Amino acid sequence: MTLSQRRRVERIVVYVGAIIVFLIMAFPLYGVILTSIQHESDIRSTNVRFFPRYVTLEHFREVLTPGHIVPIREAMKNSVIISILTAVVTVALALPATYALARLRMPGKRFILGALVSVYLFPTLLFVLPLYIQAVKRGLTDTFLGLLIPYVAFSLPFTIWILRSFLQALPIEVEEAAQLDGCNYLQLFVQIVLPMMRPGIVAGLLMVFVLAWVEFLTPLLFTSQLKLLPVSLGLYRSTYDIKIGQLAAAAVLTALPVVVLTAIFQRMITQVITAGANK
Amino acid sequence: MLNIEQRAAPLPAVRRRRIPDQTRLALLFIAPALIVVAGVYLYPAFLTLRFSVADVDIVSFSADKYVGLEHYRKIVSEPTMRSVALRTIYFGGLTALLTVVLGFPIALLLNRKFVGRGLLRVVVLLPWAVPPVVSGVLWGQIYAAEYGFLNGLIRTFGGAGRTIWLGDATRALHALIVAEVWRALPLATLFLLAGLQTLPDSAYEAAEIDGAGVLQRFRDITLPLMMPVALPVLIFQFVWAVKAFDVIYVLTRGGPGNGTTTLNYLVYQQAFEQLEFGPAAATAYSLTILTVLILGVLGFLRWRIAVRSGEVTA
Repeated sequence: MTLSQRRRVERIVVYVGAIIVFLIMAFPLYGVILTSIQHESDIRSTNVRFFPRYVTLEHFREVLTPGHIVPIREAMKNSVIISILTAVVTVALALPATYALARLRMPGKRFILGALVSVYLFPTLLFVLPLYIQAVKRGLTDTFLGLLIPYVAFSLPFTIWILRSFLQALPIEVEEAAQLDGCNYLQLFVQIVLPMMRPGIVAGLLMVFVLAWVEFLTPLLFTSQLKLLPVSLGLYRSTYDIKIGQLAAAAVLTALPVVVLTAIFQRMITQVITAGANK
Repeated sequence: MLNIEQRAAPLPAVRRRRIPDQTRLALLFIAPALIVVAGVYLYPAFLTLRFSVADVDIVSFSADKYVGLEHYRKIVSEPTMRSVALRTIYFGGLTALLTVVLGFPIALLLNRKFVGRGLLRVVVLLPWAVPPVVSGVLWGQIYAAEYGFLNGLIRTFGGAGRTIWLGDATRALHALIVAEVWRALPLATLFLLAGLQTLPDSAYEAAEIDGAGVLQRFRDITLPLMMPVALPVLIFQFVWAVKAFDVIYVLTRGGPGNGTTTLNYLVYQQAFEQLEFGPAAATAYSLTILTVLILGVLGFLRWRIAVRSGEVTA
């Protein structure tokens, strides 16, 4: 085989591979969207179709009607509130910690970072058992605060780790120069480091927003009156006499905000994760 | 901003005076995060440890009846517990392995230039953002017996397509693994892609000039250089997979029988279905111990590879 022949074969392999990967990764999402826009009778037909012959929004109308068993509107509002709160508080706590770990001189930095990340070795339920008891005792179940505390703690080590790697990948020369101009460390942090970290901050906010949005176990235990999207969906799935079209429509609505955000900011998220992986 | 004269200023004196300041600020900066983490992880972890050696009263939640290692003894001695533990390792191991084995070619693909790469990168990242509960719903739709997409596909290709995918323990477990691999692939692929991007181009160019084919380059350059990247990803995925909860809850509830009950799911069942916090706490710690043990083995393997590739000396 000549070099150009070999290149042609390589290119064919790449495109065939790309199509296979695309189909496999996209199909589950495509499937649920397809289900959500077909009539219930067609969904339950054993004659499974892979392409829509029509589009009906009846399932979306049904689940969005007030009083539906899945309180989509209320749950959507609550999920947005708790996810934004979690993202803002987590990143606000993570940024100074990140700066301390990446740039300042302090004893035991490696130990602190190791301890922070090692919490992920433990199953979440190990912490949730006593937290649940505390929440019940202090009347924090069904409150935003009762969710916010564990949510922030669960996403904080990950956020610190990702942001620290991002900061370490930034050139330190700018800070050194500002230091020589007489900036102290606090000024350096506020005036130099934070502006430079803007892409990292945006990606961090987004990632924590997503992590909070998809959280299921904690709100499953900590809420009954306070409706959140994934829990409402999970509980609907286990109800008797389920409408599959409506389940699919509710699933689409549950995933939609985070999937759209991720698609829009894919480049930024990828950049921050890969910066983290290279450290 | 950068001024040569200022650069030449006597730095050592300034530095020495500033070290305490710097450390004080560092402590101040890290304290809030540490307090949150200590309050939500360290203190509860300690309480759970106490639960694990006690009988917890479900009304007052007091753990004053000390029973020693009774709960742990049951875990070790009961055959059902042993099968749950083995299943957890199998579930975590196979999920991690499949994720890395499939993520690797996807990362290789995304590392090449081709039309549509931007779109493919978005599509590959999306499952990461899909809520696990939604993942459960959409895989439920795929695995459904009569009207599921999987059986539909099998029928399209002339098969019977009547398999009840979630009706049999072994099939259900593997169905869960497939669903988890799909959701784990984005992060694993990104980590592997990051590793690929650090590989030196020069090695590939030299190899191509020497007439090395794609497979040869892959075997002699990519694979050995990627091992130090792939193993941490494998470890990360394993830890992540043994903690799977949502997808099990939505797809199988640990059934049929207890065929898809992993240790993590068992903790939930013991605590919130049987209201036995003591045994649940012991199970949670057993899972942690198991995870750490396996991590130790994988860490040792990583060290062996590093020694063999001459990265560090034994």
